[in-house]
Amino acid sequence: MPVIEVEGLVKTYGDARAVDGVSFDVHEGEIFGIVGPNGAGKTTTVESIEGLRRPDGGTIRVLGLDPIKDRYEITERLGAQLQESRLQDKIRVDEALELYASFYREPADWRDLLARLGLAGKETARYGDLSGGQKQRLAVALALVGSPEIAILDELTTGLDPQARRDTWETIEEIKRAGVTVVLVTHFMEEADRLCDRIMVVDHGRVVAIDTPAGLIGRMGSKRRLRFRPSIWLDDAALTGLPEVIAVTHEGPQTVVTGTGNVVHSVTALLAQKHVIAEDLRIEQASLEDAYLALTSDELVETGSENR
Amino acid sequence: MAATMKLTQTETRLFLRDPIALFFGLVFPPVMLWALGLFFPGFTDPVAELGGDRYIDIYGPIVLALGIATLGLVTLPPILGTYRQFGILRRLRTTPVPPVRLLAAQLIVHGVVALVSTTLAVVVAVAFFDVPLPQSPVWFLVSFILATASIFAIGLLVGSLVRTSVSGQAIGMGLYFPMLFFAGVWIPRTIMSDGLRLVSDLTPLGSAVQALQDSWFGTTPSLLNLSVMAAYAVVAGAVAIRFFRWE
Repeated sequence: MPVIEVEGLVKTYGDARAVDGVSFDVHEGEIFGIVGPNGAGKTTTVESIEGLRRPDGGTIRVLGLDPIKDRYEITERLGAQLQESRLQDKIRVDEALELYASFYREPADWRDLLARLGLAGKETARYGDLSGGQKQRLAVALALVGSPEIAILDELTTGLDPQARRDTWETIEEIKRAGVTVVLVTHFMEEADRLCDRIMVVDHGRVVAIDTPAGLIGRMGSKRRLRFRPSIWLDDAALTGLPEVIAVTHEGPQTVVTGTGNVVHSVTALLAQKHVIAEDLRIEQASLEDAYLALTSDELVETGSENR
Repeated sequence: MAATMKLTQTETRLFLRDPIALFFGLVFPPVMLWALGLFFPGFTDPVAELGGDRYIDIYGPIVLALGIATLGLVTLPPILGTYRQFGILRRLRTTPVPPVRLLAAQLIVHGVVALVSTTLAVVVAVAFFDVPLPQSPVWFLVSFILATASIFAIGLLVGSLVRTSVSGQAIGMGLYFPMLFFAGVWIPRTIMSDGLRLVSDLTPLGSAVQALQDSWFGTTPSLLNLSVMAAYAVVAGAVAIRFFRWE
């Protein structure tokens, strides 16, 4: 069941089309990732959902409501963490949470939120004294303090060190466990891969792909590479004869087979049939990062169309 | 309403945690009046040039106007610039409480501080230097309210246009010192030339000083002074509301 429906969203700034016909649905209870290069239109898209920007075209429905017309109702039911937004340096953590809690009809217990987000004991700390990771977790707490059904997190982990980033991932998984639908804007593929149920890749204001992380990786033409040391001599011709195999090369004692689709299965089956043991077998697989780069790289798109 | 109260409470705490704003906005006017009266030679003696008034009598209203100007032009614009720069106003737009309530909270906090500071300065004048209590209390209050409204409207206008705290500070200061001049901080209005006094009358702070001075000593403030302040309040306020940028 979609909780957010975006259809043909268009937003222009002057002559530039920041968002150019973006359509997607976000399902209840999922973590929906939005990835893409800087300036691809990610933030404009989520800010249109939040009602901060008025679209120039297309329709948006959030929980069946219009973000501009039903603005008030949406603010009650959607929590947002904004990119590059901060609090006053001298405000205390408890004061900020109490303040934001007072804005909502049915606020969550902010002390409980603090504990769940690993900020217990920081109640009287001033915002300016918090670490980057703590600030971001407080931003998440503020986004959740209204007991929203949807939380939109825009580049939550940008600028955090790897440990703080990982801690924040736990937080996001915790939000999902609590039954909140999460829209996550990020440019860390590792993060998207780990957290997201589905990912939308945008580039130049358009949707390039919407799929599960595995599905996106699969679009790499499911190119895989097997690297092994055959126990006995093996004729390359036998390998290249397999329909899935693209290339066979040798690196020292190692044979490197590149292929698509079920290449791993067909190569291992061939080796078994020929009684060859593949020593030190390593299967290298395209990562989400490879898939993302392929999807958003202009050069590759052009090369792809030439091949067709 | 509960949210506005909470915002005002929070903004009050933040104001009290800013030692510079606290000192110049709240403490400085009464302390300056006290120090002038105590240490400045001849400040409490009648002066023929001033028509027999004492400097302390005319500096009471000047110090009040200075306090209002400090709050409205020095403290307020950078706060609004910071709140825009930090995305605090934008963040509020995603909550059920519109960011205009934060502006209201800021104006309430600054208004209350101006009132406290004014009261303290009047107390200093009355308690230490034999200045009478304001003789036309209603006109005095009206003058105070119009002075505050006009200066805060200008501060709000500056704060509505600047992107950052630093530019808020720069523009605020750029208005502050000329206004202080026309308010008579360096040359009291009584000894200004007629032309200069007319220009002073056309500035909100010059009119504020005259209206506070008149009502303090029992004269009804002139329509000119009251209208000048009201006009600045309405025009600057309207322009500020029209052009206010939330981000």
